[in-house]
Amino acid sequence: MTPLSPATAPSRAERTDAPGVARCPHCGTAIEGAEDAFCCPGCEIAAAIIRGAGLERYYTEREAYAPRPEPLTAAWAGVPSEPRPDGTVSARLVVDGLRCASCVWVTEKVLERTAGVAEATVSYATGRATLRWDPGRVDLSTLAARIAALGYRPRPLGVDARPDRGLLVRLGIAAMAALGVMGLYEGIYAGWWYGGMDTRFAALFRWTSLLLATPVALWCATPFFAGAWAGLRHRMLHMDVPVALGIAVLYLHGVWATLAGRDGYLDSLTMLVALLLGGRMLEARGRRRAADAATALAATTPATARRARGDRLETVPADAIRRGDLIDAGAGEELAADGIVTEGSGQLRMALLTGEAAPVLVGPGARVVAGATLLDGALTIRVDAAGRDTVLQRMAGELRAAADAGTRPTPADRIAPWFTGLTLAVAAATLVVWWVFRGFDAALATTVAVLVVACPCALALAQPLTAAAALGAAARRGLLLRSSDALLALNDITVVALDKTGTVTGGDLRVVSADDATLRLAAGLERYSNHPIARAIVVEATRRKIPLPRGEGIREIPGVGIVGWVDGKHWMLASGGPGVLRIAAAGVPAREIELADTVRDDSAETVGALEGAGLEVVLLTGDHGDVAALVAQRTGISEVIAGADPAAKRAAIERLRARGERVLFAGDGINDGPALAAADLGIAMGSGAASSILVSDGVISSPSLTPLLAGVRAARAAARVIRFNHLQSILYNAVAIAAAAGGLVNPLVAALLMPASSAVVIWGAARIEPMVRREER
Amino acid sequence: MNAVLYLVPIALTLGAVFGAMFAYAALSGQFDDLDDPPERMLRE
Repeated sequence: MTPLSPATAPSRAERTDAPGVARCPHCGTAIEGAEDAFCCPGCEIAAAIIRGAGLERYYTEREAYAPRPEPLTAAWAGVPSEPRPDGTVSARLVVDGLRCASCVWVTEKVLERTAGVAEATVSYATGRATLRWDPGRVDLSTLAARIAALGYRPRPLGVDARPDRGLLVRLGIAAMAALGVMGLYEGIYAGWWYGGMDTRFAALFRWTSLLLATPVALWCATPFFAGAWAGLRHRMLHMDVPVALGIAVLYLHGVWATLAGRDGYLDSLTMLVALLLGGRMLEARGRRRAADAATALAATTPATARRARGDRLETVPADAIRRGDLIDAGAGEELAADGIVTEGSGQLRMALLTGEAAPVLVGPGARVVAGATLLDGALTIRVDAAGRDTVLQRMAGELRAAADAGTRPTPADRIAPWFTGLTLAVAAATLVVWWVFRGFDAALATTVAVLVVACPCALALAQPLTAAAALGAAARRGLLLRSSDALLALNDITVVALDKTGTVTGGDLRVVSADDATLRLAAGLERYSNHPIARAIVVEATRRKIPLPRGEGIREIPGVGIVGWVDGKHWMLASGGPGVLRIAAAGVPAREIELADTVRDDSAETVGALEGAGLEVVLLTGDHGDVAALVAQRTGISEVIAGADPAAKRAAIERLRARGERVLFAGDGINDGPALAAADLGIAMGSGAASSILVSDGVISSPSLTPLLAGVRAARAAARVIRFNHLQSILYNAVAIAAAAGGLVNPLVAALLMPASSAVVIWGAARIEPMVRREER
Repeated sequence: MNAVLYLVPIALTLGAVFGAMFAYAALSGQFDDLDDPPERMLRE
């Protein structure tokens, strides 16, 4: 989970800088001038809020600077909240940018000390905030604005997957009963050893064991019976069928043995159910974590728009906009509806929609679509499609419809029918042969022994345990896979197709060339602005540790640029062609800053490693051929498909699949959705469009491609371990069944044999993490 | 050895009590989040 990444944590020593340079006390940006000056009004407000709440301690205890606050425009009114019996309402949010425990603490306390808030908790582990407030005194948008004012970014959260508490209770009860029965049966086996046991105690121990085993077999094991029944109804003999059969035989024999005054297999029964439930539990937990993380990544802030009503503008939620309305959009804002520009001009970034990284200059008459971000200038748009009718929402809707989740049978499920058939055949043969030669009594005991040792506990555990370990190993490295199916699919992949913008590249404009002096001037002009280009410049200046000078008389001229005084000269910063900013003042030669969407630092290395792992890497992009070729050359990708629209991307994936390849596609945009759904395995970028995250099989939660490689390694390690475990457990079952058919198995032998095979499975799962780690070296 | 005759039922009763307590704790959500409460304790 990313919200707590310590990447930007300053060390305490770093706070002392060259003379004449100070750091903004809130966000830590270097600035020229007086000690304790703030870099921007946002940080000043944040500090005032923190002081106002009496939480100054935050500044001395935190381990990381806060992010720079940015204004929050969002329609929080429509966010679902839950009414409570005491008249308060509650809602859950995801908060981005929480970097340390003190950030969590200060956010929680500021909210708690806001009038009208009944309860506020912020989770350090997941970055989620749970709020409960009195709707008569405060509203959610006020609370969200408080969080945003501190520099953290709140987003409303949908419903999280609830942990299956029932499964935990089943596991706990089964484990307790297993311990009890094991102890009692140890007494019984000791009785065998010493040649007989007082019949009173033997009866007490057997009946007590039956008493303990009954809830285990009849209640704790119901998930397996339910699974087996569902499988049989669909005429599918999957793994639950032989497991349920084994549990039923064990229990029925136990009841019969206890009534007849003999020893049963009740210790094996309870142990088996506890182990199997433990496997289920681990699998469910891994799946839930991935789902929660994906929900958080897909949570988007509800958009607002400024609508013209007569002479004035009103701010309304995006879904209140109707066809024919006139809406205004300013620099840095996302368009809320599709329409035609009537006035103004500016540069639009449409990377998530078209995959094209370079912004497009639009003016009156141009068609624009919802979801595009206006980088500079200002537009008035006559809306011709709003709400669900926008291109964005139509694409997202189609994707949701296309993403049907059919689970694939696991390798163990493919073995199950053969296994069950063979077991039943051997059991029947045993019954007949022993009945003919030794009589019914011996035949029954031997047949039960066959059915008992045939219970494929290890075989059933191999998949979920190993998959849970591998999913965990991948998640720790930034790849969240939704299911073990996705893990198995990842192991089979032969071609990795990568989207360019936002996947191989960072997706945001970054300064690629500028000298320090130029950057310093530009940063001085831009430090108070929230424009994406301004942010890129300030970020680069901060990275190079250039103190931000104080600009005076700064004015933004929409659609043109920004002017102001720095170092006694009047500068103008304006666009100097695509991807170039020009800064000039009277009597000084103009200087240039070049901005571009750059290749991620680790992309080339990851591409090389993926190819080294025997995978073919393809660049699949909606951007122009020359841009794509440049990125391909920088990363060492040999195959490029450029200029592809969403349909063409899907067609390209389908062509690869028709060739017999198994395709992984990683992308981040709305335009990548069809390709994500068409690929054998679709991986979305966590920073990407919500709809792409929702249709994907997995999400990369860090801004990097390396998690893909870690995922491939984890999947391959898991496949190796699962193969080995299947082999060893089948071997075990074969030997055990043969021994049982020969009459060599009694309850004690079964109690020793059955956990041994499961222990090997558990050992295998524990080896996944070291196996992945070894490959990383 | 006759102690066993009443110790086993006592153990069973105790086990049932603990089982019920565990079921109550689990069903009321005490095991839903194992990561945050320890952190929270340190923050105050």
